[in-house]
Amino acid sequence: MNALLTDALFDPIRIPLDQWFANFINWLTLNYRPTFQAMKVPIEVILANVDAFLQWLPPLAFIVIIGLIAYRVAGWRIAVFTMAAFTVIGMIGLWGLTMTTLSMVLASVLVCVILGVPLGILAARSDRFRGALRPVLDVMQTTPAFVYLVPVVMLFSIGTVAGVIATIIFALPPLIRLTDLGLRQVPADVIEAAEAFGSSEREILVKVRLPLALPTVMAGINQTIMLALSMVVIAALIGAGGLGRPVVEGLNALRIGLAGIGGVAIVLLAIVLDRLTQALGEERSSNGA
Amino acid sequence: MIRAENVTKIFGPAPQEALRLLRDGTSKDAIREATGHVVGVDDVSFSLKPGEFFCIMGLSGSGKSTLLRCLNRLIPMTGGRVVIDTEQGEVDVGEAGSKALRDLRTQHLSMVFQRFGLLPHRSVRDNVAYGLEIQGVPRKQRLERAERALEMVGLGGWGPSRTSELSGGMQQRVGLARALATEAQVMLMDEPFSALDPLIKMQMQEEMIKLQHDLGKTIVFITHDLDEALRLGDRIAIMEDGKVVQLGTPEKIIIEPKTAYVADFVEHADPTNVISAGTVSVELAHERVDVLRREGGNRVLAHRTQSEVEIVVDDDDHVREVRADGKRVELVPIDTLLAEEPPVARYRDRAAVVRAERTLRTLLEARNLVNLPVLVIDDQERLIGLVTEREIIFSIIEKRGRDALQEAAA
Ligand SMILES: Nc1ncnc2c1ncn2[C@@H]1O[C@H](COP(=O)(O)OP(=O)(O)OP(=O)(O)O)[C@@H](O)[C@H]1O
Ligand SMILES: [Mg+2]
Repeated sequence: MNALLTDALFDPIRIPLDQWFANFINWLTLNYRPTFQAMKVPIEVILANVDAFLQWLPPLAFIVIIGLIAYRVAGWRIAVFTMAAFTVIGMIGLWGLTMTTLSMVLASVLVCVILGVPLGILAARSDRFRGALRPVLDVMQTTPAFVYLVPVVMLFSIGTVAGVIATIIFALPPLIRLTDLGLRQVPADVIEAAEAFGSSEREILVKVRLPLALPTVMAGINQTIMLALSMVVIAALIGAGGLGRPVVEGLNALRIGLAGIGGVAIVLLAIVLDRLTQALGEERSSNGA
Repeated sequence: MIRAENVTKIFGPAPQEALRLLRDGTSKDAIREATGHVVGVDDVSFSLKPGEFFCIMGLSGSGKSTLLRCLNRLIPMTGGRVVIDTEQGEVDVGEAGSKALRDLRTQHLSMVFQRFGLLPHRSVRDNVAYGLEIQGVPRKQRLERAERALEMVGLGGWGPSRTSELSGGMQQRVGLARALATEAQVMLMDEPFSALDPLIKMQMQEEMIKLQHDLGKTIVFITHDLDEALRLGDRIAIMEDGKVVQLGTPEKIIIEPKTAYVADFVEHADPTNVISAGTVSVELAHERVDVLRREGGNRVLAHRTQSEVEIVVDDDDHVREVRADGKRVELVPIDTLLAEEPPVARYRDRAAVVRAERTLRTLLEARNLVNLPVLVIDDQERLIGLVTEREIIFSIIEKRGRDALQEAAA
């Protein structure tokens, strides 16, 4: 028995929950590993394609393209900042790793949107479903990532895909919550008017609720991206590539410089992505208000 | 066109139970105390003819909006029935399946909301086109129709704007245009003009009258403005506490309010546009009309207060001639009199003729031009009554017609 777990008072009534967990995960691994491995495939495909594309794209082309995108959604100031940030990233030698991280973030956000928006829609439609979902989301959000790293590795093996999956677990809840919130916040009188003109439920969702909820959904996507970035280092612990690796290596070998530039690149990437998605949300809501 | 039978709406988690209490005669306050249920509409029945303009009035909270929403089932009724005629036959709104209900709402009913209910993410034009979009009208066509509807409400050219750029009154008219655009035969309108300035309100009222006339629309119209209701409504329902306490023509409601509540309601109404000449007039058989003598087959009549004016009628009550102080005078339709430009007052040498359905206001205006008794005729040109100063003054003061006058005279 582990020395961490003794306490004279409770020893007689101790529950071996640690054993149960271990048994449960072992049982899952033994019986369902192929299933979990199969679940990896779509993520693997998305990830591999995005990563290959970003690695193939010449840095200069990337900088110009993202600069243009930033200019369109957020104005010239942020465009200049964005281009400068990526130039700095290239100059400190982290271009390739940054592209890998970016593709991991994009892949996890894509999967989060594919899963999260429909779940948010269901939650907004049904109080019961929402009630059932809530504790699950709470657990997903509050469980420290380190706790589920081991099971994730056991079920999905180590590597970048496992990192993306851990990221999805962590980053999905706010998107579901905010989609649900945004859909529920649509004013009742607007929905009533749509109903009075004979809209079906689907039409109300597509033509009224979703467009009006979009700014809130965008805020959810923004949060999801930020959470995904915050998982970069942790994901590196289970073999994910990208900007987490210099940090983890720097940590292990006490190479402060290496860890430092990894941190700088993560922060720059985070600021850029935050400003861009925020601007996107604001643009929608100012159109919509 | 629309038939409401015992429509009742109770808000709360177990309305059927509260409904039983209500039917057993428990008061609404008692029901609210005991069960927390709110009675919104209580046993309302009426039947509207196609093309009828039906106004609903009542104090805030009396259940007007709730009743209106029961008509298209935006609020499901607790009890009662609503039946709407369509080209495809009768539809029982409460029993309709979801497809039938949607058809009814897209094709036959359109609605204007007290709180506008515009879609904030859409342009004005796309808001107006919303109903057509749901009907499946192709984009080009529906934008044309939206533009036409916008012109009808005086917002031509505002199509590309955002609704948030519009004033409250303009937004209200966007809501109106949205309802007009679908060309539904029945329009449900919840205080549609409440945010408009008097001038535009007048224009919109005229527009509604035109729609009803030219296109035969059936209109259910909630308003807080009594003069508006009197002006527009073929019939008016007055609601109190979820019940319809009186339902009738504007004239009936003004001259015979059934309860003190209704009387309070109409107290400050201007009766001159509502009370008809027929109501004001004193009938031939009344004691204030004397039969002076017979001339051949004709009777010679006179109003008691103006006995120097003799009116000769034949057996069918058609007027043969009118004499004042022994001199024969000219008979002039009241509209000819009023249309004279400039107006010419010839008090004693002509007599005005007016149809029974014309208003007291018309009589008042004509009073400046002639002071012989006005001859009131029916649609077959038969004389049915006379109006002198006395009747006019009485009807204004008392807001009453013949019956009250007879009582007062007796
Ligand atoms: N959704 C609801 N839940 C509970 N009670 C309601 C609801 N809607 C309306 N009521 C109640 O029903 C009654 C009638 O409300 P309604 O909105 O029909 O009044 P109204 O005559 O349209 O008033 P106003 O002139 O202010 O618009 C009120 O007592 C109100 O409190
Ligand atoms: Mg109302």
